[in-house]
This record gives sequence, structure tokens and C-alpha cells, in this order.
Amino acid sequence: MPIARHKQTPRKRRDTTAVRVKRTRNGPANWLRAYADLHVETLKSSFARLRRTPVASSMTVLVIAIALTIPASFHLFIKNVRQASSTLEATNQVSLFLKPELSNETGGKLAETLKKHPQVAAAELITKEAGLQELKSYSGFGDALRALDFNPLPAVVSIKPKDSLTRPEEVEKLLAELKALPETDFVQLDTEWMHKLNSLLTIAQRSVIVFSVLLSLGVLFIVGNTIRLELQNRHEEIAVAKLMGATDRFIRRPFLYAGFWYGFLGGTLAWLIVSAFLLFLRGPSRRLAELYGSPYTLSFLGLTETELLIGASVSLGIIGAWIVVSYHLRELDAT
Amino acid sequence: MLQFINVSKRYSDSGEVLSNVSFRLEQGEMAFLTGHSGAGKSTMLKLIPLIERPTRGQVVFDGRPINHLPKRQVPHLRRKLGLIFQDYRLLHDRTVFDNVALPLQIAGYGQQETARRVRAALDKVGLLRKEKRYPLALSGGEQQRVGIARAIVHKPSLILADEPTGNLDPDLSAEIMALFREFNQVGVTLLIASHNLDLISRFACRTLKLHQGQLVEGD
Repeated sequence: MPIARHKQTPRKRRDTTAVRVKRTRNGPANWLRAYADLHVETLKSSFARLRRTPVASSMTVLVIAIALTIPASFHLFIKNVRQASSTLEATNQVSLFLKPELSNETGGKLAETLKKHPQVAAAELITKEAGLQELKSYSGFGDALRALDFNPLPAVVSIKPKDSLTRPEEVEKLLAELKALPETDFVQLDTEWMHKLNSLLTIAQRSVIVFSVLLSLGVLFIVGNTIRLELQNRHEEIAVAKLMGATDRFIRRPFLYAGFWYGFLGGTLAWLIVSAFLLFLRGPSRRLAELYGSPYTLSFLGLTETELLIGASVSLGIIGAWIVVSYHLRELDAT
Repeated sequence: MLQFINVSKRYSDSGEVLSNVSFRLEQGEMAFLTGHSGAGKSTMLKLIPLIERPTRGQVVFDGRPINHLPKRQVPHLRRKLGLIFQDYRLLHDRTVFDNVALPLQIAGYGQQETARRVRAALDKVGLLRKEKRYPLALSGGEQQRVGIARAIVHKPSLILADEPTGNLDPDLSAEIMALFREFNQVGVTLLIASHNLDLISRFACRTLKLHQGQLVEGD
């Protein structure tokens, strides 16, 4: 078809052009293509513009990334601590410490008695020696313990309550009963510190929300300020485009795309930083999990969280650009 | 095509710049607008694309009064006009091609259509070979021809030129004017503001003369 057109005389060519123009202007498919062209073109040209000022653009992207890394990594930290504590919570158990002067045999008898208790699923004696051994191998206090010439540990009966025992009052009642036994020195519910930790984590989680909001505002300002400088640089272009009949939408579009790029690149970089941060922590956290005898492994940003991070970042970029450009256009109209 | 009915424009700081101006410009006409600097030529031209709105009176374009045209319709009005400026107002970070393509991009033409029309416009002003250059690499006369190509590329119904030869030497000025006349001969309507009476006198065109904000000749 294009070859054929070249062969036509100029006069004829003008005619075909006229027909084509009409079709281009009226055909919905062509209009759609022109519209898509425009968007793809703007997407590309706004990225090219970012690359034209690599230092300034990278600085903006980096600042956005850092601003997003802080709440994201804080969130991940809490998430991981929560998950780690929940794997421990599964080993919900009561430790009954016998009075130090009582022997392993007394402990053994007590364990046998307790096994018959209706609310107890299992009761097992941990002898003074076994306790010391365990402490030596897992806790890292090995050397200090070796320096002792006697075993300071009491015998312990480790009790696992029945799974049906879920309500706190019932647990409390069982604990009171165990405390009242003449052999008992003290009783410790191993999940107690977990509850304290959980309420601490809830507080921390709330602060993540506050951080996120504040730093999101930060991102909005960073993008807004960058776009504002860009608007100043392109003042003449905007003025000319307006004289040529550009709508506000047309003028706004490349800046919204610039905002999109800043947000997208900033969000992606934040994701990379957070992931690198986690990789850095993976080794030590694995060792920590081993110490607790927990199967826990560090969890990274999930798909939803990644989408949320980048989505939020992109939205903030676009919104920041929108606010600044709209404000600028209003000012331009006023003069 | 274009009609001014008792149009006045007053600025709060410089008083009345146009008083009671009335005239008609017919389809296919080419007219000059003359007068000393400060006579109100630029102001008059600004009232047509609604860069300014008149204080009193009515401006009618294409059979429609435009004084109270809502802001969101102003872009569509401007797309029917071709504006040419004394200082060209080209975008220096874009090639000649991209400068001329601007009105088409604004109007939402596809890439192929844009390319064809831009080349046609550049061909008309004799700059087809320089489409990849940047404006600052061109001479003043060439830059103004790029400005003209940009003003005609979207086939506007009226071309407004504000001192288009103000920065050019006499030879180049004559060239530009000849170009305008060529356009007029194929039916383009033009209104050209210029204080270069010597140049104007060479064309047998209607001349509107402004003096202290009043139309004293050619209405």
C-alpha cells in the first residue's frame, strides 16, 4: 500500500490524504490507536526526560526509596517477630519448678500423678542433669556453666495442658492448682511473655501506620518538588502548548507519567533495599531460630506486600505530580 | 469569519488600550493591522484566542460570540487558529519536526498522520530538509518559517501573526510576506499585525490602522 502511494501523482496523493484524514478523525479504532500512541509516547518520552538528568532523577528516586524502606522494613520486622513467636506459641506449656532440695525421684512421682490429672495431656520430668545439659548445649552459656562445681538447677516437670484448655480462666485455674502443690517452688506458663510481646507488637504495628502516613506525605512532597522544578524548566513549553490549544489534561499528562516513573522506580528500589536487608539478616536469624529449636525461617515481602509497596509508591508519585501541576495550571490561568 | 463589535479593552494599570473597535474579516481575506507600538495591535490579536477577554463589546469567530466561552472550551477555539509570534516561540529542546508536530499532538493525531502533515507543512515553507535540526541551529528567517509551519500544520481557519517580521531584515521579511500571500491565494484567512508600512504597501491588501486604541482606517 505505501509503495503504491508513492507511485501516484501529487494531485491524486492529495485526494487520498483527504480521505484518510477524514477516516482518521472519525474512525473510533484509529482514534483509539492515536490515543494509545500518545500514552505510549508520553510514557517513553517522560522516561527519556528522567534519564536526561540522571543525577537529579536518581536522587529523587533514592530519597523516595529510603522513605519507603523505613516503614516497609519496620513492618517486615514486626511481621517476622510475630511469626517467630507464633511458632513458639505452639509449644504452649507449663513448667513446674520443684523446690531445689527435692530429688529427681520426687519429681518423677509428681509427673506420674500429674499425668492422671483430667486437664493435663502430658507431664514429663526433666531431671536436674538433663536440664543442665540442655542449657549447656543450647543457650551459649556452656563455659559459664562448666565453671560451676555443683548443679544449681531444680528438677522440672514439663506439663502440656490438654488442647481443650483454651480459655485463660481455665488455664489460670490449673496454674493455681499446680502452685498449691507442696512440691512446687514456682510455676511458669511459657506463653505469658508471648502475650506481653504481642501487645508490644501491636503498639509497634500502630506506629508503622503512623510512620507510613508521615513518610508517604514525604514522598508526596519529594515528587511534588521535583515536578515543580521540572515545571519551571518547561515553562515556555507549557505556555506555547496552551496557545496551541492544549487542554490542561494534555499538559498534565507527561508530568503524571514522570510522577509514575519516580514512584515506580522509588518503590522498586525500596523493595530491593528491603530484600537486601533481609538477606543480610537471614544468617543470624537462622542461628537464633536454631537456639530456640524453632523451625522458623525469615519471611520476605510477599506478593501482596510487594504490590502494595509499589502500588502505593506509584500512586503517591502520580498524586504528587497531579497536585503540583494542577496548582501550577491554576496559577498560569490567573495571570 | 471574524467580527469585532464595539470592542474595548481596559487594563487596570494602563487604562483603555482599545476603544470601540469594530470590523469584519471575511473568509479567505488577508488583512494587515498597523499602528505605532502601543496602539493596541497585540491586544487586539490577544482577544481572538482569548489570551485576554474584552472589557466591553463582542468578538465573533466562526459565527459564534466568544467573549463568554467557558474556559474548558478555549483550547478547542485555539486549535482553529494558527498563531505566529515576533519572537517565534519555538521550543529549543525539540527538533524542527517536533516543534511543528506540537499542534497535531495537541489535537490528538496519530503518529503516521502527524508525520505526513508535518512534512507537508515543512515542504510549504521550504524546510523539509532541516526537520532534524534544532531551532537554534537555524537562521532567524528559518526559525520564523518553522513558526509558520507550526501555525499552518493543523489547517486552521484563521492565522494570526503578531509582527512576524519584526526581528528580520527586509529581504527575509519580504520572503515571509510572500509566503503569507501564497497561503492566502489558496484560501487561507490571515490577519497580520505589523508596523512595517513600507512592506505592507507592497501588497494590495486591506489595512486596518489603529491609533491610540481606535480603528482609524479600514473598518
